[in-house]
Amino acid sequence: MGEDLKEKPKKMPPDPNSAKYKLGQIAAKAYSDAQAAKKRGEMVGWCSSNFPVEIPETLGLYVCYPENQAAGIAARGGGQRLCEISEADGYSNDICAYARISLAYAKIKDAPEQNMPQPDFLLCCNNICNCMIKWYENLARELNIPMIMIDIPFNPDYEVSDAEVAYIKAQFLDAIKQLEQITGKKWSDERFKEVMEYSGRTSRAWLAATACAKYVPSPFNGFDLLNHMAVMVTARGKKEAAEAMETLLKEYEENHQNGTSTYRGEEKHRIMFEGIACWPWLRVTATGLKSRGINMVTTIYADAFGFIYKDFDDMCRAYARVPNAINLELARDKRIKLCKDNHVEGLLVHTNRSCKLWSGFMYEMSRQIGEACDIPVASFDGDQADPRNFSEAQYETRVQGLAEIMEERKAAKK
Amino acid sequence: MKTAEILEQFHQVASSPAKQKEAFLKAGKKVVLVAPVYTPEEIIHSMGLVPMATWGADIELKQAKKYFPAFICSIVQSIVELGMNGAFDGASAIVVPSLCDSLKVLGENWKYAVPSIPFIPMTYPQNRKPVYALDFVKAGYNRVISDLEKATGAKFEDEKLKKSIEIYNQHNAVMRKLEQVLADHPEITAVQRNDIYKSAGFMLKEDHTRLVNELIDALQESSSDVEKIKIMTSGILTDCPSLLSILDQNGFQIVTNDVAAESRQYRTDAPAADTGLDSLALKFSAMDNCSVLYDVEKKRVNLIVEQARQYGAKGVLVVLTKFCDPEEFDYPLMKKACEKENLPVLLVEVDRQMTNYEQARTMLEGFKDMLQA
Repeated sequence: MGEDLKEKPKKMPPDPNSAKYKLGQIAAKAYSDAQAAKKRGEMVGWCSSNFPVEIPETLGLYVCYPENQAAGIAARGGGQRLCEISEADGYSNDICAYARISLAYAKIKDAPEQNMPQPDFLLCCNNICNCMIKWYENLARELNIPMIMIDIPFNPDYEVSDAEVAYIKAQFLDAIKQLEQITGKKWSDERFKEVMEYSGRTSRAWLAATACAKYVPSPFNGFDLLNHMAVMVTARGKKEAAEAMETLLKEYEENHQNGTSTYRGEEKHRIMFEGIACWPWLRVTATGLKSRGINMVTTIYADAFGFIYKDFDDMCRAYARVPNAINLELARDKRIKLCKDNHVEGLLVHTNRSCKLWSGFMYEMSRQIGEACDIPVASFDGDQADPRNFSEAQYETRVQGLAEIMEERKAAKK
Repeated sequence: MKTAEILEQFHQVASSPAKQKEAFLKAGKKVVLVAPVYTPEEIIHSMGLVPMATWGADIELKQAKKYFPAFICSIVQSIVELGMNGAFDGASAIVVPSLCDSLKVLGENWKYAVPSIPFIPMTYPQNRKPVYALDFVKAGYNRVISDLEKATGAKFEDEKLKKSIEIYNQHNAVMRKLEQVLADHPEITAVQRNDIYKSAGFMLKEDHTRLVNELIDALQESSSDVEKIKIMTSGILTDCPSLLSILDQNGFQIVTNDVAAESRQYRTDAPAADTGLDSLALKFSAMDNCSVLYDVEKKRVNLIVEQARQYGAKGVLVVLTKFCDPEEFDYPLMKKACEKENLPVLLVEVDRQMTNYEQARTMLEGFKDMLQA
């Protein structure tokens, strides 16, 4: 998702057999396939990031992901321009910047940073936030197109209840029926089984690859995950995605065996990064870590896209366990596990102005994670896509503070 | 009783919820806090418990800052602040429906910020209309019932729920009638009007119904030749006395509203059904026209225009609670719909921590000039 952080290779063209190349191709192809489908006269949808991709994938529908597009636009410097278009229409600048960018794009229909075809239908799922509902309602109204909404409520309990699974399942079946009517495509159980298998393969490889952070030093730079997760969001039900993720896992294992890493330089400290990336300030935020020898070895994304399930009901349950749909205790325990498994020494929290749900109980949760893992916690204010909500000076100060505490702790242990 | 005496009673209740709570506790009742926006109060009432509404308060946030970043709505933050500073001491539980993202985080933070008062979640479906959603609503109610039984020792009986539903339906009806009556009585100020609505959250509904009926009777015996500028209000909450005083000082009359804490509470009755829980689930399923309830057709937007026209409102005052994204998303569409019908709209952003309303005053003075032109 968004800009690749690393310097573009100057001498060698990228190795077409590398995971990085393959994953980049899949992410790019998602846009070009949708454009081509639109040109052929096929219907194209816009889809929220944690909508069950198995549904459009099984039906053979082409969908684009506005969150992914907004991140790309923001990373390439267009965030403020598009946000301001929505603000001029009366949208408060307190609203999620992805939504502001997307609503502006639906209006002006062109953004050189990342174009994508206009939608014929919308696929919305609120397991990420209820803001998503409002955003898609407005898109549906402004564009006068149908919206399919799968409601996966925030679960205040640790486990997903049978009542919730039944409610989600009924909606999945409803959504399939509606999509068949809208697009004329037909559901195939056989094809679903295939998609489910690819999704499982992709997810298992992703979980195993991200778990390679257990090695010290880590065989990868955690910012890689921010790039690769685009494929997990949009294409995990595809054969190519499964193969590319398996390649990634192989590369990380090889890196470990060879003593190499995609993290350049000495890995002095290992942190978990909490929150969506600050796409407009990606280079600044990455440099702030790298210059201090800090590797962000894990994020909740490592766990978030492990969609492993055995059947339809189980798939419904999996979609109710995504990060923003779960209570503080489960969210905390998932992170504690990631911190412990990956020998994390500090937690850096992005208090993301755009995301009320993600940031809303983060203060308490990060205190609990810090205590449980005995690691220092630092936070900084930022935004996933609006560059105006970030202060480089504050970021530097906070990261420096975190680095100093980790340094002191290391020295005390010697 | 005379109108002024009844209004004074409403004022006393609206301005001192703590006193109300203490009186209930002293009488041996158990109090359960109900958070915005739609809590199944009927269930709480039917169990012999007293549901008391909390929409926060106009206070400075201090302790709540330990839990919330600044960009979470101040209604939610001030509820936690009140909990942390002991204002709710004695309450047996708080029921929080998670209809918006800020309400979701309210519940999660509450568990740690105010551990002495148990948090009871109410999870509603957003896809409310299909039949399968009813089972999920009922599962949510059953969860609330079981948690309430644990927290208070009270027992649930469906027959009693049916009786409470009747009481709540009657209250809805009287509140809808009140809006119509008040539209013809411009002598009732915005501040007084707010007392009537706000007090509903701090009284048993049967008592509130009785008092509102008395007010309606008293008002219907009188008439007024006061002339004010008729407006409609829209938003989550419009209970700030400073803002309401500015409306009164500038001669505005709120003739109708689309406010979550006011008329949105009373639009939908629970229909008859086999069981009380079925009836209540059907009520939720039938609810609409609110920013926290999914509606791809955005019927609310047109309803505002129609309602304003029906009551002869010359303009719409949108009181936007800062950081309330459900309302912030609806606003541009609402504005567009009103402008299309030549219905002037004024947006005033409010925050529970606001102390200076001079900017709002200037805007409202300008709005007045525009509506009078």
